[in-house]
Amino acid sequence: MEMAIDTPSPSPSSASPAPSAAAGRQTRAAESVRLEHQLVRVPLEALRATARTNHRLAEKEIAAVLSSASAAPGDNGAAAAVDHLTSLVSRLHGLKRKMEEGARAEELQVQRCRARLDRLAAASAGDDGEWEDMRLKRILVDYMLRMSYYDTAAKLAETSGIQDLVDIDVFLDAKRVIDSLQNKEIAPALAWCAENKSRLKKSKSKLEFLLRLQEFVELVRAKNSLQAIAYGRKYLAPWASTHMKELQRVFATLVFRSTTNCVPYKVLFELNQWDSLVDQFKQEFYKLYGMTLEPLLNIYLQAGLTALKTPFCFEGNCPKEDPLSLDGFRKLAEPLPFSKQHHSKLVCHITKELMDTENPPLVLPNGYVYSTKALDEMAKKNEGKITCPRTGEVYNYTELVKAYIS
Amino acid sequence: MEVDTVKDVFDRVVKKQKLKSSKTIDLVNHVEKEIDQAIKAIQGNGTEGDSAANMTHEILLNLKNKLKEMAPTKQLKSCQKEMNTALSTWVKTTEKLFIHDISKAYRNVDMEPNVLNELIANHLYREALFDIGDSFIGEASCTASLKLKQLFQNMYEIHGALKAGKPELALSWAMKNHDALLQNSYCLELKLHQFQFVDMLKQGNRDQALQYARAYLAPFATTRKEEIQRLIASILWAGRLDQSPYTEFLSPTNWEMLAEEFAQQFCNLIGQSSTDPMGTAVSVGAEVLPILIKLMTVVTAKRDWHSMKQFPFPLDLRSEFQFHSVFVCPVLRDQGGDGNAPMLLPCGHVLSKQSTLKLSKNSSRSFKCPYCPFEAMTSGCKQLYL
Repeated sequence: MEMAIDTPSPSPSSASPAPSAAAGRQTRAAESVRLEHQLVRVPLEALRATARTNHRLAEKEIAAVLSSASAAPGDNGAAAAVDHLTSLVSRLHGLKRKMEEGARAEELQVQRCRARLDRLAAASAGDDGEWEDMRLKRILVDYMLRMSYYDTAAKLAETSGIQDLVDIDVFLDAKRVIDSLQNKEIAPALAWCAENKSRLKKSKSKLEFLLRLQEFVELVRAKNSLQAIAYGRKYLAPWASTHMKELQRVFATLVFRSTTNCVPYKVLFELNQWDSLVDQFKQEFYKLYGMTLEPLLNIYLQAGLTALKTPFCFEGNCPKEDPLSLDGFRKLAEPLPFSKQHHSKLVCHITKELMDTENPPLVLPNGYVYSTKALDEMAKKNEGKITCPRTGEVYNYTELVKAYIS
Repeated sequence: MEVDTVKDVFDRVVKKQKLKSSKTIDLVNHVEKEIDQAIKAIQGNGTEGDSAANMTHEILLNLKNKLKEMAPTKQLKSCQKEMNTALSTWVKTTEKLFIHDISKAYRNVDMEPNVLNELIANHLYREALFDIGDSFIGEASCTASLKLKQLFQNMYEIHGALKAGKPELALSWAMKNHDALLQNSYCLELKLHQFQFVDMLKQGNRDQALQYARAYLAPFATTRKEEIQRLIASILWAGRLDQSPYTEFLSPTNWEMLAEEFAQQFCNLIGQSSTDPMGTAVSVGAEVLPILIKLMTVVTAKRDWHSMKQFPFPLDLRSEFQFHSVFVCPVLRDQGGDGNAPMLLPCGHVLSKQSTLKLSKNSSRSFKCPYCPFEAMTSGCKQLYL
């Protein structure tokens, strides 16, 4: 198919009639909105989490009040009963206060969802430049949050007025866990696992198992063998059916101790195990909130650079407007493939505009090609004379010939 | 995409959420009321005697039964369940209408964080977010071009002044870079001088204007003859330009546009793109991602990304993102390259050098143009420079 010679067409004019620019813009906007899954999913998950916490709190408190009310000590006299019941009432008041707080938190999440949906609805109707600018800011904030540059993220969000469109508080929640893991504390991470138990289980996450393993290793490091065994019995044994191999390996550390030089066990005692726990936690956290596993910036940039990368980008005369004229972007694009083109595309050296049937290419006697628009204008200004901007040669407008490049 | 559909589903979630909230509060209030009533009843009975104790007992038993009947936890559960159902519907709708996971298009190849961070820092500077850029460099502990920062600080200072209608800074900048700016077809310096000059004429300072013209406009006389002639002629109407043929000089200046023009020329001069490269790369990414995601399933099945020299499918871009001329031979369908220079046939059609050689059996005979009846020889073909 690739080698087939095209059937000659009677008219040399290239390309099918372009669809109207407005329609193209519309579909483009609609398509780019479809990429924004994370934008609407994260606040939804946050709302879900808040609602769940509120529900649990209410359920627990009401159940406690109920059972306590049923067991009210009637035998100790009426005064005691009244005291008891009054304490229950004040407990209910406390619950109501907390529920109001919870409702406010939910309201905030709802507002955030709505702001984002409105934003998306405006995307296909509104100003392209503004939408693209805001998108870039959102993507940058997302990147900063994932890289733990919290202060800069907050500042950028604030100056751009996009606090409702980024997930700073969700990430700050995760930051507590990340910080504690970096300080070699496991408890907050385990608490997080407990909070999200059912969903982690559904996605077959082994984060909790890994945390437990680390805690076990720490006990071995501290030479608390008995405690380690007890811990293993209680927390590790339940994972035996699914993760037997890892479990066995970790238990063998009891024999080898932290000073071992035996490679498979030595790595378990290395400090970068904690870093990998942080990474593991981040992955689970992203999954739970329906975020992409990579920063949005990396995804968008990689796609963009793949499309932009051509052999011409690496030549000396690459125009500055091409991001790939910069060393940084070139480095990022290094491992990516070149983009492929099916049709010739001619960019006029003078006007930088794309040449097409409306503005066809003209050839100078020296073989250099420019757009009709540019040469017409030059001829008008210089009494029919054309100066080739790249070689300096001067010709008459009448010497130019049309080229049909399909 | 119908954002409206998502909104409808979302509204249902909100309704359930509101219902749940109010119902929980109702339940708590209800429980509280029952307990309150019990307290009142006990207190009303007096506190002495056996009968009172019995009554207390009975009241408590009554309360217990009532609360049990109410089964508040069960009601709570059903509310929560309804809300969860609404939420799940929403998840499903969004997953259907949006592209669920755009990282499908991502290939795990190294994106050096240091390089990326430096690009981000430079981006923040060029967007005039200097404080944020500094804060970013601190947190990311990366480097950035301080020279670039200073250049952009300088640019935004002049840009801001110009936007506010104060051309002095821009003018002194333009005069300093007189030679370099002359090569541009739009002459910023002359434009700025013109404002000063016309301003003097408006106030009727004919002599001052004339002196100004001698000093600053005269050097442009050879390159911008027409414009200078018109400007000088307008001196005749000093103080009453509104009645002159040159009223156009009085039209309110669009400082915003002038500032943009200045920024562009400034970037041009310091060898920077006048558009933000980070913004361009991300916008291009947003444009091709939908296609890329669709293609990716096919691509991964076939080939390994790392060994791929060229992406196997074309990713067409808007013309504003097309920075290079690309010639694809219509016969061989091959993309450019050294052996593939475009050759202009005498009939005006263009083929690659290789295909002209193939068609002419290595230049041994003439061949018919694949697009028209014209016969051509390779010697009659001319190489094109795009």
